[in-house]
Amino acid sequence: MTGQESLELIARMIHKAKRDYLDSGLSALLWGTVISFCSLVSFINQVTVKIDAINVVWVLTFIAVVPQILIAIREKRARKYKTYEEDHMGGIWISFAIAVFLLNFIFWRYEYTGEPAVYLMLYGVPTFATGYSRRFPPMLIGGIACWALAVLSLFCGYPYTLLCITAAALIAWFIPGLILRKRYLKAKETHV
Amino acid sequence: MFKDLNPILHSQLRLAVISILISVQEAEFTYLREKTDASAGNLSVQINKLKEAGYIDVTKSFKDNYPQTICKITPQGIQAFEEYVRDLQAYLNIKK
Repeated sequence: MTGQESLELIARMIHKAKRDYLDSGLSALLWGTVISFCSLVSFINQVTVKIDAINVVWVLTFIAVVPQILIAIREKRARKYKTYEEDHMGGIWISFAIAVFLLNFIFWRYEYTGEPAVYLMLYGVPTFATGYSRRFPPMLIGGIACWALAVLSLFCGYPYTLLCITAAALIAWFIPGLILRKRYLKAKETHV
Repeated sequence: MFKDLNPILHSQLRLAVISILISVQEAEFTYLREKTDASAGNLSVQINKLKEAGYIDVTKSFKDNYPQTICKITPQGIQAFEEYVRDLQAYLNIKK
């Protein structure tokens, strides 16, 4: 093996390992669907019938943790390798989940009018970080959209702030999730 | 005058394995076999050589009742790989 061949082999193998990382997109699709559905139902409820009980729909965000855990377990079992990036991303998304949980508690305990802006600002952090670290523009755009919508929500009154949340969930998670899913299924098809 | 290239790494399959392991945190034996297109027997021998040199850690366990071998590059392996690439670059520059 010549020196040139060695360098080519190294570059080829590193490229193969990097190219191999593919997100199934299921988590992004799950949360994009759940959050946009809940906020849209709440919005429609507020502008039409105004039945408080319908807002119970937000319980779905807690129930969605169960399929999320199942997805994470299934993906972990199926993966034959572990990247450094996975650990970093895992840490960021777990911190995000804990922060959202704490925010729910804080907003339940103390009255605050700018709740959607705070949630949207927080949604943007892990989304932007994921897009930045994976060089995935749809999530970069999603993160920026969350922050722009956070500002916008401060200027539109309730219940229109709920529409900002719907838009954020669709742009930040649902659309990137669809793109990831399409890529994943295409790659799986070519491997078979 | 250039340094001799590390003989442990200057082998096609061993270099391929180390190059993959430098890119990921850890990888299963089956993944390495898939990426290198090597036979299980040959890969096993080369992995043992890398392990004996202290360049990789090999952990054997069970996953869904099947044996699972996980390989991970060691700090010594990272250092050896970096030195190998430096020597290779120096060697190619001299040749030019």
